[in-house]
Amino acid sequence: MPDGPRYVGSLPRPLVRAALRRSGTLEPALRVFAEDLLGADATIDLVGVDPEGRVVVVQVGEEGEDRSCVVRALAQRAWVRPRLGDWLQLAPSLPFQPDAPVVAWLLCPRFSPDTLAAARELGSDVIELSTLRGIQNGAEATVLVERVTPARIHTAHEPFPEPPDGGSRFRSGLSQHDLGLGPDERRDFE
Amino acid sequence: MPRDLADVLHHFLPESERQGPSDATRRPDRGPGALAVLAVPVGDRDVVRAAFVWNLAVEIGRAGARAAVVAPAADGASALWPEDASGPFGVEVILAPVTNIGQLWRAAEGVAQDRARDAREGGVVLVRVPPLWLRDPRGGASLLRWVLLFSTSERRDLLETYGITKLLTGSLPDTRIGVTIHGVRRQGEAEQAFSRLADVVSRRLGRSLASYGQLVDDLHVYRAIVDQRPIGMLQPQSPAARCLHDIAGLLLEDAGKRARA
Repeated sequence: MPDGPRYVGSLPRPLVRAALRRSGTLEPALRVFAEDLLGADATIDLVGVDPEGRVVVVQVGEEGEDRSCVVRALAQRAWVRPRLGDWLQLAPSLPFQPDAPVVAWLLCPRFSPDTLAAARELGSDVIELSTLRGIQNGAEATVLVERVTPARIHTAHEPFPEPPDGGSRFRSGLSQHDLGLGPDERRDFE
Repeated sequence: MPRDLADVLHHFLPESERQGPSDATRRPDRGPGALAVLAVPVGDRDVVRAAFVWNLAVEIGRAGARAAVVAPAADGASALWPEDASGPFGVEVILAPVTNIGQLWRAAEGVAQDRARDAREGGVVLVRVPPLWLRDPRGGASLLRWVLLFSTSERRDLLETYGITKLLTGSLPDTRIGVTIHGVRRQGEAEQAFSRLADVVSRRLGRSLASYGQLVDDLHVYRAIVDQRPIGMLQPQSPAARCLHDIAGLLLEDAGKRARA
């Protein structure tokens, strides 16, 4: 009888990384050029370049690890940034500039309100969050990635310019400005 | 009369025996002139909520009614919908070449009229509305007469759902808005979240929200999504499948009322 579906926390990390790369769900589309890279005292799961030329440091965390992963992801981001020039010397074909922006992308099964607030405060130029659910069907593992912090790249049918509070977009892509939300209304849900 | 939480509390509670869908819902005796059109704002990359929409359509089809999903053709380049557009129970995913909400309504209206011809049990056309189009809803008033919003119980999600309700009701006072709370782990979590949202909407906007039940955080949901297979067929006994069945029943009930009206 095949194994039932299991959360990512119970899947080996290499399996998760392989499933991530295979699934095509890494968004924005990421050209991965390093995997399981020893960074700041720990390994970075994946490093890639997105279509905007940003270097993306992907850190996978397990259930309950999201807070500590924020710190780890920021440390890895800081570790990667000064090394971009060195990497370009080793592999000049890599599609980024030595001063390219570096963003940390944290994938966890669930995020606490503290983590979400911290990510919003830092902004999508620093850290992005997505939930990651790993599902194992027998010997094969698949993953489902769901963005938590708003996507930064505009889609083809988004005819509107970035709103003034673009950094606080909701899951729908709408912002507080779009929805006309005032402080009193926000307080109702705090 | 708008439905409140008390009317649907039984949908949050486990039942040892459930009535079949044809008994649980009161549908019109004959096919209406057009199927009911339900607008569902779903983000461009929101594969989870898009999957809910498709699964609800399948559940409506399973109940014997007609169901179709209409979405902008730009979705064809995304992972929102199953690759095989012809689903079980005759459920279709129709990608319409539209670029604004007015065109989307006309496409949905056409499908609703066409598919009503052989829909003796009624049915629903579910329309994926890019949320950004809600910022300029002119021309979309007809499409937005009946709206389903998905929300988790997270505070920020509830605030967003409130905001969309405010946006819609501000320019469309007659719109009927229902909410499904998803991703909950406990029964009371959905009740509490909906109650909180409905309370703020009532107090600040003077409007009632309909409850379209809950969807539990069931791993089978995500497994079905990655497999692009209906949850109700992959795991018919799972809590998520039962929730989808209940929500489909509520939607059909409302669709029947709208058809009679």
